[in-house]
Amino acid sequence: MLADLFTCNGPSERLESTAMPLVVMLLLPFLGSVVTALLPTRARTALASCAGLVSVVAAGGAISLFPRIRDGGVIRETIAWVPSLGLDLSFRIDGFAWMFAVLVTVIGALVSLYARYYMSPEDPVARFYAFFLAFMGAMLGVVMSGNLIQLVVFWELTSLVSFLLIGYWHHRLDAQRGARMAWIVTGTGGLALLGGVIILGQIVGSYQLDAVLAAGARVRAHPLYSVGLVLILIGALTKSAQFPFHFWLPRAMAAPTPISAYLHSATMVKAGVFLLARLWPVLSGTEQWFWLVSGAGMTTLLLGAYIAMFQNDLKRVLAYSTISHLGLITLLFGLNSQLAAVAGVFHIMNHATFKASLFMAAGVVDHETGTRDIRRLNGLMRSMPRTGTLALVASGAMAGVPLLNGFLSKEMFFAETVFFTAHPSVELGLPVLATIAAIFAVVYSLRFGYDIFFGPPSTDLPRQPEEAPRWMRTPIALLVLSCLIVGVAPTRSIGPSLAAAARPVVGGTLPQYSLAVWHGFNLPFVMSLVAISAGFAGYLWLRRHQEQGRLQDPPLLAALNGRRLFEGALVRLTLWSRTGLRSLGARRLQTQMFTIVAIALLLALLASHDIPLEWGERERLPASPAFVFLWVIGATCAVGAAMMAKFHRVVAITLMGATGLVTCVTFVWFSAPDLALTQIVVEVVTTTLFLLGLRWLPMRIEQTSARVSSRDKARRVRDLLLAICGGGGSTRGWCQRILRRVRLLPRCSP
Amino acid sequence: MTKVGIYTLLRLWTLLFAADLGSTMHFGQPVLLYGGLATLAFGAIGLLTTLRLGRIASFSIIVSSGTLLAACGMGVASATSAALFYILSATLAVSALFLLVELIERIGHDGYVQPPSDDLPAGEDTNLDDEELPLVGRAFPVSIAMLGLAFLSCALLIAGLPPLSGFIGKFSLLAAVMAIAGGAGATGISAAAWMIFGLLLLSGLAATIALARAGIWQFWTMGARVAPRLRNAEAIAVLTLIFSCVLLTVYAEPVMRYTSATAAALHTPATYIESVLSKKARPGPTSGEASP
Repeated sequence: MLADLFTCNGPSERLESTAMPLVVMLLLPFLGSVVTALLPTRARTALASCAGLVSVVAAGGAISLFPRIRDGGVIRETIAWVPSLGLDLSFRIDGFAWMFAVLVTVIGALVSLYARYYMSPEDPVARFYAFFLAFMGAMLGVVMSGNLIQLVVFWELTSLVSFLLIGYWHHRLDAQRGARMAWIVTGTGGLALLGGVIILGQIVGSYQLDAVLAAGARVRAHPLYSVGLVLILIGALTKSAQFPFHFWLPRAMAAPTPISAYLHSATMVKAGVFLLARLWPVLSGTEQWFWLVSGAGMTTLLLGAYIAMFQNDLKRVLAYSTISHLGLITLLFGLNSQLAAVAGVFHIMNHATFKASLFMAAGVVDHETGTRDIRRLNGLMRSMPRTGTLALVASGAMAGVPLLNGFLSKEMFFAETVFFTAHPSVELGLPVLATIAAIFAVVYSLRFGYDIFFGPPSTDLPRQPEEAPRWMRTPIALLVLSCLIVGVAPTRSIGPSLAAAARPVVGGTLPQYSLAVWHGFNLPFVMSLVAISAGFAGYLWLRRHQEQGRLQDPPLLAALNGRRLFEGALVRLTLWSRTGLRSLGARRLQTQMFTIVAIALLLALLASHDIPLEWGERERLPASPAFVFLWVIGATCAVGAAMMAKFHRVVAITLMGATGLVTCVTFVWFSAPDLALTQIVVEVVTTTLFLLGLRWLPMRIEQTSARVSSRDKARRVRDLLLAICGGGGSTRGWCQRILRRVRLLPRCSP
Repeated sequence: MTKVGIYTLLRLWTLLFAADLGSTMHFGQPVLLYGGLATLAFGAIGLLTTLRLGRIASFSIIVSSGTLLAACGMGVASATSAALFYILSATLAVSALFLLVELIERIGHDGYVQPPSDDLPAGEDTNLDDEELPLVGRAFPVSIAMLGLAFLSCALLIAGLPPLSGFIGKFSLLAAVMAIAGGAGATGISAAAWMIFGLLLLSGLAATIALARAGIWQFWTMGARVAPRLRNAEAIAVLTLIFSCVLLTVYAEPVMRYTSATAAALHTPATYIESVLSKKARPGPTSGEASP
């Protein structure tokens, strides 16, 4: 109802087009976020329906755009913001952005339904849904941006809101640490991305995506290409949790499970690969791109899958498998081949569906049994057969079992590695490494799917497991159903959407590819078979070892603990900066004064050493004894004030006042009564202020011994020298400037 | 207060050492440039040393002074214009943060105690954590939630993160600097521009880390069930400052136009000199002009 209200009040009525304007689609989640924040904090049902309604309306709006983008059409809307900086709110949806918008909103709707049942009745869920909707809006903003700077704006927003979401249970230490790590890593990436995008804009001459996409060849030939590429890649790889920035993602599992399901399937981490795909026509095709992107992707693919096999927490298995699958997608975009890019786009969709359903299934298990420990969970099939079946099918998709969607994109990936032409070692290494990663994937999928649902039912669970409520299972069922449909009849179900989504990524014309389930008995199929059978064997072998208490942690990786390295680096950074500050700054007034005067003197000398000293041309007054006597008194008072400053403050102030009076008299002597009056006022005010401030000064230091150490003596001499130089220097400067001015300036009075 | 120096600099430096003066053109530019960079780096290092909000606010002032000095030291109208915009946003944000510091530090010390929501019995539907205890989020009292949002806005503004005006200021600076660094020009200036570019990004990172740590410490770990007592006047002052930054974000374009016109005027001092010198001097007051 609320959502409809907003759409009616929005600018949609003024526009003639039937579809929802993009601005409204983007604003909807943000408005929903404000509304949910104002609702009662524990009204689960009302909040969930509000969030669900917003996502459904936005999803409807997104899906209805399909006819307009199907054949490569682009929808654009622009609102002027800061045109003088080239920064306008510009919304742009093509096939690829459309795919992401649909994923974000549809999975968002499913997650809001799921979270209604997952969150405890006592949880303050208003905050949860408000941040959730804000995150959805930020993510929509990223995919709909037609301006690169605007993309960075929303990109940082997703980092910020995900920080708040991961820290939802903020009283827990792991939530604080996980949120902080995710924020610092992805925020750093965002800053690097900003730098990279500005460089890109400098090369192209515009931040508009259309202009950038059209200037690919120019960008790749520019000398700044490498710098810009590295900065942009840091942004994308941190966001997508790619090696060496992968460590934040498992820590982000401290978030409530619906958030993990959303962040790590369709949104947050996908923003990185979204950017890789978005800029693929511009940046790819070079050596640097190949080595950086596919290198990071390959490492992450293997490392993530390897670590995932040894995890005992359901969500951590999924976290590392997410890292690994994102590595796969990154690798596909890094191969500089159009077919691989299509496979990458396809795997983005598939991974989003099966990973969201798997996270939700893990949440159901956690919610119903009270634990996520794979070692304790066994034989749940009896108590929760429906959830078990769904989880099994979804983990089949994750492993790449035929007739499920994961199989199709994995086949495309295998085909790409087999037919890749490069250096012989790369040609041989790619398919072998791909098969090894696929074997690992089968192992961890079995650990997730098979281990907890089969075998003798466990007896010592915190809660008696039972089937989850129907509406909690519905989102999982819908996602798993789509995995099945895509897996069985890919051409008819996903074909058109994939074509529309992949076309802009590869730059307009699609390469020849086939979505058929059966390609004949070829090498990629053999690789799949090898992966599945070796994966089974590996799983049995690993289980036997683990039952005997061996291989609890991933071997060979003890030193490579990303979390410890990160926390250590943060602590070291703080310590270094403390040391640096101590060596650069000073706590004592004396030192500060010395430094300031010395530097000022030095700079003044540097600036004025080549200006000649002159005496001017005016006639000199004769020296009078009375005036000299006056100055002797003044100087004595000044020296006395300096000597007494430490021990007799009142005396020092009085002496200073006397010096001031002498200055006044000097002014009068040289017939400058205005200056004298000013000086008197200044003297009165400062003396009064000093007297008032006396009692706030720290305790006086009594002189304990008459002997002064030689070090102190040296310091005093140094200070005295500096004072003399300072005074002399300012007199010299005055002579240089004023006397010269008097001579040079023409008379300007009329 | 800290901006007075920058004002003097902008007012006089371009006037006295204008671009068309030959030998004294842009006198002392390296001093301004590298002095600014050093200040910026010092402030950024300082930010990382502390969790205390007051010190963070002070160091962020140093960072902003350094940024301004370096930006003015570039001696280019576009950078000056960006710096002028940055001054507006940074001043408002830091004043808001200074006002907030005291309010935030009041959390948990003074005020009324919320009824504890933690010991509700774990229902059938409650999630359990690793120790099999009920896992239930803590609700923030309204006043802490407001303080949190205000702090978040200040943090975004100071770190120059989107979407508020701090980002626009920082972005326009970066873009102006990049135009110098990437474009053809004197290599010395270009190298300095790259240094400013990098340091601006790094100081943003330092501010991000510092403010995130301080925010987590103040709002998440204090475990404060005690909501601070806030007076309306205190809240309104902070909110007004933040709201003016929001306005600055929305109406960035007219402000930007104003600052770039100002910067252009500063960099063509001939107009100013003429307008001052062409006026006939007014006769001074007949009695002595002694009042200070």
